[in-house]
Amino acid sequence: MSNSLALVIALPLLAAFLLQPLAQQLGVGREQRSVAIQLYAQLTIAVTLWITLMLGNGVEQQPLSVMMGGFSAPMGINLYLDRLSLLLLVATQLALLLLWPADATPRIHALMLLLSASSMGLALSGDLFNLYVFYELLAVATFGLVAANSSRSAPLISFRYLLISGLGSVLALSGIALIYSHTGSLNLADISATLQHGDAELPLAAFILILLGIGVKAELFAVNGWVPEVYAIISPRLSALLAGVVSKLAVVVIVRVLLMLFPHPEAAQVLLVLGILGVISGELAAWRAQDLRRMLAYSSIGQLGMIFIAFSLSLEFGMLMGLLLSLHHMVVKPGLFMLTAGKSKRWHMALFVLFALSLVGVPPLPGFWVKLSLLTGLVEAGGALNQLALIVFLGATVIEASYLFRVLQNTLPNPPAVDEGHLTVGWNGLVGVLLGGVLVVTTLSVDPVLEQLKQISSQAGDRNLLISSVVTPSAEQQMVVERDK
Amino acid sequence: MSRSSRSMEWTPLLFSGGLAFFLFALFAVIPFGDTAMKVGTMIHQQGGELGAANLVTAVVLGYRGLDTLGELAILFAAATSAGLVLSNTRQRTRSIKNKGLGELFESAISLLMPLLLLVGVYIVLHGHLTPGGGFQGGVVIAVALFLPTLARGEMVINHHLIQWIEGGAGALFILIGVAALIQGAAFLQPLMAAGEVGRFLSAGTLPVLYLLVGLKVGAELAALLGHLVEDDEPGVQQ
Repeated sequence: MSNSLALVIALPLLAAFLLQPLAQQLGVGREQRSVAIQLYAQLTIAVTLWITLMLGNGVEQQPLSVMMGGFSAPMGINLYLDRLSLLLLVATQLALLLLWPADATPRIHALMLLLSASSMGLALSGDLFNLYVFYELLAVATFGLVAANSSRSAPLISFRYLLISGLGSVLALSGIALIYSHTGSLNLADISATLQHGDAELPLAAFILILLGIGVKAELFAVNGWVPEVYAIISPRLSALLAGVVSKLAVVVIVRVLLMLFPHPEAAQVLLVLGILGVISGELAAWRAQDLRRMLAYSSIGQLGMIFIAFSLSLEFGMLMGLLLSLHHMVVKPGLFMLTAGKSKRWHMALFVLFALSLVGVPPLPGFWVKLSLLTGLVEAGGALNQLALIVFLGATVIEASYLFRVLQNTLPNPPAVDEGHLTVGWNGLVGVLLGGVLVVTTLSVDPVLEQLKQISSQAGDRNLLISSVVTPSAEQQMVVERDK
Repeated sequence: MSRSSRSMEWTPLLFSGGLAFFLFALFAVIPFGDTAMKVGTMIHQQGGELGAANLVTAVVLGYRGLDTLGELAILFAAATSAGLVLSNTRQRTRSIKNKGLGELFESAISLLMPLLLLVGVYIVLHGHLTPGGGFQGGVVIAVALFLPTLARGEMVINHHLIQWIEGGAGALFILIGVAALIQGAAFLQPLMAAGEVGRFLSAGTLPVLYLLVGLKVGAELAALLGHLVEDDEPGVQQ
């Protein structure tokens, strides 16, 4: 039963492989065909959502580790479903269902299915090299989606994106090779068990390489040059998906690697410094940006910098803070991106204000509580770098408020004329409303949501739980024997 | 603008210099080839359980089957993306029509093609016994299929058929994995008896999987090369 977790990755791949030949068989008009293919793709995602929910039932007590091919832990690949990956998986699937591109060619639908499979693989995989494979699949699928854009600069922009991504992949792969040469294993839990004793220099170097490599998709400082230009040309839905969900998946991969493999203060410090630089560069660039979408893209770099700062704090607290910030950004940023689509109406403006207020952190919206607890956390942590982070963080909030309200200032004096057809909401607007609804509901139920997230983050930060649920006792004994030899 | 572009020239140089130093320093301290890896030792000990004489095949299709499925998907994504880009640019510029390579090449290639196909198929089918396998053999098959196109300057491959081979092979790979699932085993668990090591019919489903990999890789690369040559697409994309 639990073995069918693999279907979550396999079904979208199967659908993607068969999509083009099936599309050619369809003897209907172009428009009908497009609708049929979209339904086919979304149905696939819906099935994976159903499987995930079925299997996610017992995860609260005991995380699920599913071995591929029936081989035991360090030999084979395992998928790992704990509460954190369950949350991410469901969020990814819902986002895909909501943000699926309409009126696209079969090739784009196929690439979207590959993107779905790879995102789910990133959320689930418990094997370092397998993570790399899915990361690479994600990268290649997004190259195609960016290049498919009809704008004139699309080929150049996607080529630059490809180069940065390629550099990142090489770095990540070198890091993984280092780990493998050091521990002789690729399984995250197994590596974690091995690395608990032993020197930290080589693993730290490997962590930096993996951080920079995966950081390309996580919009980490120094490897995020692609963000503004790519988000400026791709469709709002794809921007919402990449900025909202895919970047978080990359962040979670980094955090898993950090927590499980290198829980050393130096690694956290690297994360903190790069996070601070990301906040400064992102927010200042957003403040200077003229175009709304570019502004949102730069601001997303700044937000991810804040997320990195949060994750660099102590294990338990940092995990919770990073998770809170990530989820908040996951709701707000796609909401803002969706509102940039189409003509603006009055209720668009109202929603924009709601998202902007939460992003800046105005009580009683969730953004306020998240930022407040991060601030108190930074104060409590002490240390020069944390204080610097605190100052940068406060400054960034002021800058954020300044540019978001400049947008409103420019639009509010001449609000769009009274809408004629109130009923023509459109899908993009509807998604915006839905995300706004999520924000409001969270505002009304801050305490229970926080309680749940606390449990999720404490489970995700538990190394021993990971090791005990993946590496079977017999394999562990074998390891000891191996070491004694 | 000019100032910023001048500084842009320096930053990559600095970055790559630093990176090169970092990597050099790192790889100077790694003891390469000294100790056998943990997983490597385990594969040496138990690798025979799958019945593949070529241990690499046992790793590629057995222990790390999901990675191979991912690699297939990456190749598919790359081919699909390339098809998208090529069909986009084709709307703007007409590519120069290939005139073919002439009589001599044409006859040479028609002699060479069946031999190449045979070698490709041999490499694919013996992947579980000798070095080689689906990826390598698939490339040879793709070249064999592409050579006539190169010689005559026109597409001789049936796109429709290629798409079905490409999609069908990938789908069958997954369905074999799902078949194990239905039998109550793990996804992509090798089925059927391992048999006698070294025989052609051995290693359970591994040779079948490699055949599918070969077909998929071959079809994909042939279609990709075809796209590069073709003037207009006969297919229905776009």
